[in-house]
Amino acid sequence: MELQAIYVQILALVIFAIGLIVAVSRRNVFFVLMGVELALNAVNLSFVGFAKTLPADASIVGQVVPLFSIAVAAAEACVGLAMVILIFRNRESVDADTYSNMKG
Amino acid sequence: MLALIYFIVLSIIAVGSAVCVLLSRHPLYGALSLVCSMVSLAGIYGLLGSPFLGVVQIMVYAGAIMMLLTFVIMVLNGARDSKTPMFDKVSLFVIPAVIVLAGLVGFAFVRSSFDFDVATIRGSVAITSKTLFDVAQTGPGYFVLFEVLGVLLLSAMGAAVLLAKKRLGSVDSEKTEDKH
Repeated sequence: MELQAIYVQILALVIFAIGLIVAVSRRNVFFVLMGVELALNAVNLSFVGFAKTLPADASIVGQVVPLFSIAVAAAEACVGLAMVILIFRNRESVDADTYSNMKG
Repeated sequence: MLALIYFIVLSIIAVGSAVCVLLSRHPLYGALSLVCSMVSLAGIYGLLGSPFLGVVQIMVYAGAIMMLLTFVIMVLNGARDSKTPMFDKVSLFVIPAVIVLAGLVGFAFVRSSFDFDVATIRGSVAITSKTLFDVAQTGPGYFVLFEVLGVLLLSAMGAAVLLAKKRLGSVDSEKTEDKH
Protein backbone atom coordinates (compact mmCIF):
# COMPACT_ATOMS: atom_id res chain seq x y z
CA MET A 1 0.00 0.00 0.00
CA GLU A 2 1.80 3.08 -1.23
CA LEU A 3 0.80 6.65 -1.97
CA GLN A 4 -0.82 6.65 -5.41
CA ALA A 5 -1.07 9.64 -7.75
CA ILE A 6 -4.84 9.24 -7.92
CA TYR A 7 -5.24 9.91 -4.18
CA VAL A 8 -3.77 13.39 -4.63
CA GLN A 9 -6.16 14.10 -7.48
CA ILE A 10 -9.16 12.87 -5.49
CA LEU A 11 -8.15 15.11 -2.57
CA ALA A 12 -7.79 18.08 -4.93
CA LEU A 13 -11.20 17.30 -6.41
CA VAL A 14 -12.86 17.16 -2.98
CA ILE A 15 -11.30 20.46 -1.90
CA PHE A 16 -12.22 22.09 -5.21
CA ALA A 17 -15.83 20.94 -4.83
CA ILE A 18 -16.01 22.30 -1.27
CA GLY A 19 -14.48 25.60 -2.43
CA LEU A 20 -16.98 25.87 -5.28
CA ILE A 21 -19.89 25.17 -2.91
CA VAL A 22 -18.61 27.82 -0.49
CA ALA A 23 -18.13 30.37 -3.27
CA VAL A 24 -21.54 29.87 -4.87
CA SER A 25 -23.90 29.06 -2.02
CA ARG A 26 -22.70 31.15 0.93
CA ARG A 27 -24.15 34.64 1.12
CA ASN A 28 -21.51 36.44 3.15
CA VAL A 29 -19.09 38.04 0.70
CA PHE A 30 -16.04 37.07 2.78
CA PHE A 31 -16.98 33.44 2.42
CA VAL A 32 -17.29 33.92 -1.35
CA LEU A 33 -13.69 35.16 -1.45
CA MET A 34 -12.54 32.34 0.83
CA GLY A 35 -14.20 29.77 -1.40
CA VAL A 36 -12.36 31.15 -4.41
CA GLU A 37 -9.08 30.89 -2.51
CA LEU A 38 -9.88 27.29 -1.56
CA ALA A 39 -10.64 26.35 -5.16
CA LEU A 40 -7.39 27.98 -6.35
CA ASN A 41 -5.49 25.98 -3.73
CA ALA A 42 -7.05 22.76 -4.96
CA VAL A 43 -6.01 23.52 -8.54
CA ASN A 44 -2.43 24.12 -7.37
CA LEU A 45 -2.45 20.77 -5.60
CA SER A 46 -3.73 19.09 -8.76
CA PHE A 47 -0.92 20.74 -10.77
CA VAL A 48 1.74 19.43 -8.38
CA GLY A 49 0.20 15.98 -8.30
CA PHE A 50 0.13 15.71 -12.08
CA ALA A 51 3.65 17.13 -12.40
CA LYS A 52 4.96 14.23 -10.34
CA THR A 53 3.68 11.79 -12.95
CA LEU A 54 5.95 13.35 -15.58
CA PRO A 55 9.65 12.63 -16.14
CA ALA A 56 12.35 14.87 -14.71
CA ASP A 57 12.58 17.78 -17.12
CA ALA A 58 8.87 18.24 -17.59
CA SER A 59 8.06 17.99 -13.88
CA ILE A 60 9.75 21.33 -13.15
CA VAL A 61 6.90 23.08 -14.98
CA GLY A 62 4.55 21.76 -12.33
CA GLN A 63 6.63 23.56 -9.69
CA VAL A 64 6.75 26.87 -11.57
CA VAL A 65 3.15 27.30 -12.72
CA PRO A 66 1.68 27.08 -9.16
CA LEU A 67 4.11 29.81 -8.10
CA PHE A 68 2.59 32.14 -10.69
CA SER A 69 -0.88 31.00 -9.71
CA ILE A 70 -0.17 31.89 -6.06
CA ALA A 71 1.07 35.35 -7.11
CA VAL A 72 -2.06 35.95 -9.20
CA ALA A 73 -4.19 34.82 -6.23
CA ALA A 74 -2.41 37.41 -4.08
CA ALA A 75 -3.27 40.16 -6.58
CA GLU A 76 -6.85 38.90 -6.78
CA ALA A 77 -7.29 38.93 -3.01
CA CYS A 78 -5.83 42.45 -2.83
CA VAL A 79 -8.22 43.95 -5.39
CA GLY A 80 -11.19 41.87 -4.22
CA LEU A 81 -10.88 42.97 -0.60
CA ALA A 82 -10.48 46.61 -1.67
CA MET A 83 -13.72 46.29 -3.63
CA VAL A 84 -15.42 44.74 -0.59
CA ILE A 85 -14.32 47.70 1.53
CA LEU A 86 -15.60 50.12 -1.13
CA ILE A 87 -19.00 48.46 -1.46
CA PHE A 88 -19.40 47.92 2.28
CA ARG A 89 -18.94 51.64 2.82
CA ASN A 90 -21.92 52.36 0.55
CA ARG A 91 -24.20 49.49 1.47
CA GLU A 92 -23.37 48.75 5.13
CA SER A 93 -23.83 45.05 4.46
CA VAL A 94 -21.70 42.01 3.65
CA ASP A 95 -24.59 40.06 2.15
CA ALA A 96 -23.67 39.33 -1.46
CA ASP A 97 -27.33 39.56 -2.52
CA THR A 98 -27.46 43.26 -1.70
CA TYR A 99 -24.65 43.97 -4.15
CA SER A 100 -27.07 44.12 -7.05
CA ASN A 101 -26.92 47.75 -8.12
CA MET A 102 -25.62 46.78 -11.56
CA LYS A 103 -28.73 44.73 -12.27
CA GLY A 104 -30.42 47.72 -13.90
CA MET B 1 3.63 3.25 3.69
CA LEU B 2 4.72 6.07 6.00
CA ALA B 3 4.06 8.58 3.23
CA LEU B 4 0.52 7.23 2.90
CA ILE B 5 -0.12 7.65 6.64
CA TYR B 6 1.17 11.23 6.54
CA PHE B 7 -0.94 11.92 3.47
CA ILE B 8 -4.10 10.53 5.06
CA VAL B 9 -3.62 12.58 8.24
CA LEU B 10 -2.88 15.80 6.34
CA SER B 11 -5.74 15.30 3.90
CA ILE B 12 -8.21 14.65 6.72
CA ILE B 13 -7.09 17.93 8.33
CA ALA B 14 -7.35 19.76 4.99
CA VAL B 15 -10.80 18.46 4.08
CA GLY B 16 -12.11 18.84 7.65
CA SER B 17 -11.08 22.46 7.88
CA ALA B 18 -12.47 23.10 4.39
CA VAL B 19 -15.82 21.76 5.65
CA CYS B 20 -15.42 24.08 8.66
CA VAL B 21 -15.11 26.99 6.21
CA LEU B 22 -18.39 25.89 4.65
CA LEU B 23 -20.26 25.56 7.92
CA SER B 24 -18.82 28.27 10.14
CA ARG B 25 -21.00 31.22 10.93
CA HIS B 26 -18.57 34.04 11.62
CA PRO B 27 -16.09 34.91 8.83
CA LEU B 28 -13.22 35.03 11.32
CA TYR B 29 -13.69 31.36 12.22
CA GLY B 30 -13.86 30.60 8.52
CA ALA B 31 -10.59 32.44 7.94
CA LEU B 32 -8.84 30.52 10.73
CA SER B 33 -10.11 27.20 9.33
CA LEU B 34 -8.85 28.28 5.92
CA VAL B 35 -5.37 28.95 7.36
CA CYS B 36 -5.42 25.43 8.87
CA SER B 37 -6.40 23.95 5.50
CA MET B 38 -3.65 25.85 3.68
CA VAL B 39 -0.94 24.80 6.15
CA SER B 40 -1.87 21.15 5.79
CA LEU B 41 -1.87 21.55 1.99
CA ALA B 42 1.66 22.96 2.32
CA GLY B 43 2.58 19.78 4.19
CA ILE B 44 1.18 17.72 1.31
CA TYR B 45 3.32 19.74 -1.13
CA GLY B 46 6.38 18.86 0.92
CA LEU B 47 5.30 15.22 0.98
CA LEU B 48 4.93 15.16 -2.79
CA GLY B 49 8.44 16.52 -3.25
CA SER B 50 7.89 20.25 -3.76
CA PRO B 51 9.19 21.78 -0.51
CA PHE B 52 9.80 25.18 -2.10
CA LEU B 53 6.18 25.42 -3.16
CA GLY B 54 5.07 24.43 0.32
CA VAL B 55 7.13 27.20 1.86
CA VAL B 56 5.75 29.73 -0.64
CA GLN B 57 2.25 28.48 0.16
CA ILE B 58 2.77 29.12 3.87
CA MET B 59 4.39 32.52 3.31
CA VAL B 60 2.04 33.94 0.69
CA TYR B 61 -1.28 32.17 1.31
CA ALA B 62 -1.32 31.45 5.02
CA GLY B 63 0.76 34.52 5.76
CA ALA B 64 0.00 37.40 3.44
CA ILE B 65 -3.40 36.70 1.89
CA MET B 66 -5.05 35.40 5.04
CA MET B 67 -3.56 38.23 7.08
CA LEU B 68 -5.13 40.68 4.63
CA LEU B 69 -8.47 38.87 4.78
CA THR B 70 -8.49 38.71 8.59
CA PHE B 71 -7.52 42.37 8.77
CA VAL B 72 -10.40 43.41 6.49
CA ILE B 73 -12.87 41.22 8.42
CA MET B 74 -11.81 42.93 11.64
CA VAL B 75 -11.88 46.41 10.12
CA LEU B 76 -15.34 45.98 8.64
CA ASN B 77 -16.62 44.18 11.75
CA GLY B 78 -18.58 41.50 9.92
CA ALA B 79 -20.15 40.36 13.19
CA ARG B 80 -22.51 43.28 12.82
CA ASP B 81 -24.09 41.42 9.93
CA SER B 82 -24.82 38.15 11.72
CA LYS B 83 -28.48 38.38 10.73
CA THR B 84 -27.61 37.37 7.16
CA PRO B 85 -28.70 33.76 6.64
CA MET B 86 -25.87 31.38 5.77
CA PHE B 87 -27.60 29.72 2.84
CA ASP B 88 -30.57 30.53 0.68
CA LYS B 89 -32.80 28.51 -1.63
CA VAL B 90 -30.27 28.60 -4.46
CA SER B 91 -27.99 26.39 -2.36
CA LEU B 92 -30.48 23.55 -2.65
CA PHE B 93 -29.71 23.41 -6.36
CA VAL B 94 -26.04 24.39 -6.25
CA ILE B 95 -24.83 21.77 -3.77
CA PRO B 96 -26.22 18.69 -5.59
CA ALA B 97 -24.98 20.10 -8.91
CA VAL B 98 -21.42 20.51 -7.60
CA ILE B 99 -21.51 17.05 -5.99
CA VAL B 100 -22.66 15.49 -9.26
CA LEU B 101 -19.91 17.36 -11.13
CA ALA B 102 -17.29 16.12 -8.66
CA GLY B 103 -18.66 12.60 -8.99
CA LEU B 104 -18.35 12.71 -12.78
CA VAL B 105 -14.77 14.02 -12.66
CA GLY B 106 -13.89 11.47 -9.99
CA PHE B 107 -15.32 8.70 -12.16
CA ALA B 108 -13.11 9.89 -15.04
CA PHE B 109 -10.09 9.90 -12.69
CA VAL B 110 -10.76 6.36 -11.50
CA ARG B 111 -11.19 5.09 -15.05
CA SER B 112 -7.98 6.71 -16.28
CA SER B 113 -4.60 5.34 -15.31
CA PHE B 114 -1.65 7.45 -14.27
CA ASP B 115 1.00 6.93 -11.68
CA PHE B 116 4.00 8.64 -10.15
CA ASP B 117 7.10 8.67 -12.31
CA VAL B 118 10.03 7.22 -10.39
CA ALA B 119 12.47 9.42 -12.35
CA THR B 120 10.83 12.65 -11.24
CA ILE B 121 13.03 15.09 -9.35
CA ARG B 122 12.54 16.89 -6.07
CA GLY B 123 11.55 20.52 -6.64
CA SER B 124 14.11 22.09 -4.35
CA VAL B 125 14.91 25.78 -4.22
CA ALA B 126 18.02 25.40 -6.38
CA ILE B 127 16.36 23.60 -9.29
CA THR B 128 13.20 25.74 -9.19
CA SER B 129 15.11 29.01 -9.20
CA LYS B 130 17.42 27.74 -11.94
CA THR B 131 14.39 27.08 -14.14
CA LEU B 132 12.60 30.26 -13.15
CA PHE B 133 15.51 32.62 -13.80
CA ASP B 134 16.96 30.91 -16.84
CA VAL B 135 17.73 33.95 -19.03
CA ALA B 136 19.36 31.93 -21.79
CA GLN B 137 18.13 32.44 -25.35
CA THR B 138 17.01 28.82 -25.59
CA GLY B 139 15.57 28.66 -22.08
CA PRO B 140 11.89 28.42 -21.17
CA GLY B 141 11.64 32.17 -20.61
CA TYR B 142 9.79 32.14 -17.30
CA PHE B 143 11.66 35.25 -16.20
CA VAL B 144 9.57 37.40 -18.57
CA LEU B 145 6.42 36.06 -16.90
CA PHE B 146 8.03 36.81 -13.55
CA GLU B 147 8.55 40.46 -14.52
CA VAL B 148 4.98 40.70 -15.79
CA LEU B 149 3.79 39.36 -12.43
CA GLY B 150 5.73 42.09 -10.68
CA VAL B 151 3.90 44.71 -12.76
CA LEU B 152 0.59 42.93 -12.06
CA LEU B 153 1.14 42.96 -8.29
CA LEU B 154 2.17 46.61 -8.39
CA SER B 155 -0.91 47.61 -10.39
CA ALA B 156 -3.14 45.53 -8.07
CA MET B 157 -1.68 47.37 -5.10
CA GLY B 158 -2.27 50.74 -6.78
CA ALA B 159 -5.82 49.77 -7.70
CA ALA B 160 -6.52 48.63 -4.14
CA VAL B 161 -5.25 51.90 -2.70
CA LEU B 162 -7.34 53.90 -5.17
CA LEU B 163 -10.45 51.83 -4.47
CA ALA B 164 -10.27 51.74 -0.71
CA LYS B 165 -9.20 55.35 -0.13
CA LYS B 166 -12.00 57.53 1.12
CA ARG B 167 -11.24 60.67 -0.82
CA LEU B 168 -8.77 61.14 -3.63
CA GLY B 169 -6.63 64.21 -4.06
CA SER B 170 -4.01 66.25 -2.30
CA VAL B 171 -4.22 67.77 1.17
CA ASP B 172 -5.26 71.13 -0.28
CA SER B 173 -8.19 69.72 -2.24
CA GLU B 174 -9.38 67.83 0.84
CA LYS B 175 -9.33 71.10 2.79
CA THR B 176 -11.41 72.88 0.17
CA GLU B 177 -13.84 69.96 0.08
CA ASP B 178 -14.28 70.19 3.79
CA LYS B 179 -14.95 73.91 3.53
CA HIS B 180 -17.79 73.54 1.05
